[in-house]
Amino acid sequence: MRALNRDTLIAILLLLFCGLLAWSSLHIRLPGYGTLKPSTWPQIIVAVLTLFSAIYFVQSLSYPSADGDKGDDRKPGLGGFLEYFRNPIICFAIYFVFLATLPWAGALIGGILLVFALLTVLGGWTPRDLVRHAIYATVSMGFMWTLFTFGLRVILPEGEIFSIR
Amino acid sequence: MEHIFAALAEIATVHTLLLMSAGAIAGLLAGAIPGFTIAMAVVLTLPFTFSMTASQGIATMIGVFVGGLSGGLMSGILIGIPGTPSSVATTFDGFPMARQGRPGLALGLGVWSSFFGGTISAICLIAIAPQLARIGLEFQPWDYFALVFFALTITASLAGKNLIKGLISGALGLLIATVGEEDINGVSRFDFGSDYLQEGFAFLPVLIGLFAFSQLMGDIRNPAEARRSLVQTGDIDIRIEHMKAAKIVLSRWTNLVRSSIIGIFTGILPAAGSSISNILAYDQAKKASATPEKFGTGTEDGIIAPEASNNATAGGSLITMMALGIPGDIVTAVMLGALLIHDVVPSPSFITEAPVLAYSIFIAFFFANFLVLFFQSVALKLFVLVTKVKMYVLAGIILAYCGIGVFALNNIVNDMWTLLIFGVVGYAMRNLGFPLAPMILGVVLGPIAERWLARAVALSTDMTNFITHPWSVFFLTLSLFSMGFGIYQRDRGKKVWPFYYTPLMVLALTPAMFMMEGFIRPGIGIVMVAGGLYALYRAHQKAAEFKPAAGESA
Repeated sequence: MRALNRDTLIAILLLLFCGLLAWSSLHIRLPGYGTLKPSTWPQIIVAVLTLFSAIYFVQSLSYPSADGDKGDDRKPGLGGFLEYFRNPIICFAIYFVFLATLPWAGALIGGILLVFALLTVLGGWTPRDLVRHAIYATVSMGFMWTLFTFGLRVILPEGEIFSIR
Repeated sequence: MEHIFAALAEIATVHTLLLMSAGAIAGLLAGAIPGFTIAMAVVLTLPFTFSMTASQGIATMIGVFVGGLSGGLMSGILIGIPGTPSSVATTFDGFPMARQGRPGLALGLGVWSSFFGGTISAICLIAIAPQLARIGLEFQPWDYFALVFFALTITASLAGKNLIKGLISGALGLLIATVGEEDINGVSRFDFGSDYLQEGFAFLPVLIGLFAFSQLMGDIRNPAEARRSLVQTGDIDIRIEHMKAAKIVLSRWTNLVRSSIIGIFTGILPAAGSSISNILAYDQAKKASATPEKFGTGTEDGIIAPEASNNATAGGSLITMMALGIPGDIVTAVMLGALLIHDVVPSPSFITEAPVLAYSIFIAFFFANFLVLFFQSVALKLFVLVTKVKMYVLAGIILAYCGIGVFALNNIVNDMWTLLIFGVVGYAMRNLGFPLAPMILGVVLGPIAERWLARAVALSTDMTNFITHPWSVFFLTLSLFSMGFGIYQRDRGKKVWPFYYTPLMVLALTPAMFMMEGFIRPGIGIVMVAGGLYALYRAHQKAAEFKPAAGESA
């Protein structure tokens, strides 16, 4: 059997997603008032999305797409994928850690650490780089924090460690 | 008249003008940096506008918008890489002129053409939009829904190469907007028992995640490119030749006016933005020129045409946004979103219901052109400084700013999680070849469409209302043709049927015109029938002469 191409796989995932949403739309509470039911509009959209996904599925079987960033310099397999998307994956992971630790570190400290980590991962970690990145992170986040806190009067998340917003 | 004075009083304050100036400089810089789009700049400006009034916020964003359109010419002329797609054609003659030792004149021509093009379109915006908006007073819920439905079908045009992926992206956008408690009955949908999903997704984190976050990830994907400076160029020390350039631009007034009209008309058309208008205007200028062979070698007309048209497009797209309440492109979609954040619901009756705000937008657009002209030299110096910054430094700092910016919307950390989730979704979609513009359109227009559908059904459950109200018929007919526009674009010049597309659309719209009251519109209908039949006859002649390219079937 021929291996599934990427578009076919996405189309199948989309169809499964549509199935899940269609099932969920059947459980939307009906309030007993109002003429347009709360489930009608989502059901219309799910039906349309299902139709488009089905067309996409058929199309993917007939004409495998050449679209998208396949990356000419990308090696095959999971290792190649991880190597090719190394920077975005690490950035998303750092951002995840920043958000997870936000209640503890706060916007200022967490933000400085976020920028420092991002710059160091992306730009290198020679001693000179580390100093430069620390300065960039402190100055840029300090400026943003001051601007939002005092200029725009936004109460940014306060950290538990130093109780600094 | 009192609305204009009230709007002038809102915009012509030191505070608002300072905000607009900052926006114009930011836009000029964002437009000048290759890889940064105008839409991204406008999206990133949004968080700053929360603490402002609606008119101040929109005025700042208009400053960014107009600045972005003008900024693209700097990098296009100086380094041959257009800062934005709206300045692609400017490089054809701007870069050769700069290499011939006349960079100051090339920049001056671009700056003054942008200024005059923008000013002409501002005048048209002020003159046309209120007239068009009067039609909005006739609209009933069925007409409103049909109008929004038409705007949704634009996704087919925004889909680019892959129509089905664009349509899926648009439908996913509509779906995102349905998650959480709905406005009409307060019933939660698609929450799967999660408190986070029950709150729904706020518009701004979705937008910044899909657009800015995912684009930054794309910019730093390649480790070697991420560590390079933004532009590989030496020191630039140029003085813009303002006086000489202004005289040349005014002496070529036919090219200037023609290109501006092309820009305005392209802007009015949904989904046809400045990336198209600058090339169209360049092409027309070349065809109308007595020396077309000089185009591409550094001719003045080759800079005037694209720069006048791309700035004029902004006024055209604002006409559609203001008069009909529908976004024609991604930038106006973001602006509509900004209006929603300020509790202003855009609709065809917007100008009538909020005249001061509407006129503030007109005046802000007018002023923005002057500000951009004034700050062009300042931005040029800043541009030289920014070109020395490495991509990863800029990306890292902007990523942090994205998070802080979305938090400022509602002061809840969940919005920052939404940003991350949609950053991942956006990046995955980009890499899988799904266009993001239709998705954004879906997110913005979905709730508006549902609201009007609910109002229409609440008034009467008789669905024939959609085909008995003339404006509803008009927009539903237009929607049918809009849905086929992607296929039309694909087959144009390759197959016979696209010849018939426009004449048939004109003829199909005539029944709606005849359904309207009075004499003028049915009269226009008669003209449309005559014009449509003539166009059909001409299309038939062209189709008979048409020879498909080798390998294509007619």
